[in-house]
Amino acid sequence: MSFYQKKLSHIQSVCYSNEKQIESIIETRHYIDNNFEKDLNLDFLSEIRFTSKFHLQRLFKRYYGLTPKQYLIDVRIEKSKEKLTNGMTVTETCFAVGFESLGSFSKLFKTKTGQPPSEFQKEQVSRSKIG
Amino acid sequence: MKVTLISIPVQDQEKALKFYTEKLGFIIKKDAPLEDGNRWLTLVSPEWQDGPELLLEPAPNHFEPSKIYQDALMEAGIPYTQFDVDNVNVEYEKLTKLGVDFSVKPTEMGTVKFAVFNDTCGNNIQIVETL
Repeated sequence: MSFYQKKLSHIQSVCYSNEKQIESIIETRHYIDNNFEKDLNLDFLSEIRFTSKFHLQRLFKRYYGLTPKQYLIDVRIEKSKEKLTNGMTVTETCFAVGFESLGSFSKLFKTKTGQPPSEFQKEQVSRSKIG
Repeated sequence: MKVTLISIPVQDQEKALKFYTEKLGFIIKKDAPLEDGNRWLTLVSPEWQDGPELLLEPAPNHFEPSKIYQDALMEAGIPYTQFDVDNVNVEYEKLTKLGVDFSVKPTEMGTVKFAVFNDTCGNNIQIVETL
């Protein structure tokens, strides 16, 4: 067994021994993936996992390194890129991926990708024409 | 500042280019001649051509400490870097059929599944799927 494999085995036993807990957090992530466009919040997510919202938030962060809310925003931004690339308008995209305000969507989109959704879309369209 | 480049030390740029394009499926982004036959050679993922570039850097041939570090990581089985994949099992099957040698078979740990292979250029590389 290599040094790396020994190290992995140690990390497994110290950090990832609670299989049931991990399974539950993985299911939460999958739930977010499949329901990102809905009005998801911690209260709701914790109810479906039969746990408190603070516990869920702590565990999600522990196993994925970011909070459920941060993860949900990342998923929505990724999905919005797909929709904008496929020609959906900025306003339609905003609501289709679960954001409730065009202003906050545009601001978040720019923070995450470096450009506003309208510019991102223009760039994708001009690229597909060149391609 | 933006993170746009990951550098990986390789002992033979041409051999590395063949492995990373023909076996792993990356595509060339930049290929410019430098001194003494060396090249500024970067690759990107075909599905994310705006993403970070992978620089195939011939450092181990020109800077002894780089070779010593690379050899030590290889001996310990430690990956030099890692790439995200959608499905580790699928990649493992595909790469194994192409003759790629794995030191760690697909393994689940916490919220990820991973495997480690030899890039034939002096490095262990890890592929990771988020569960």
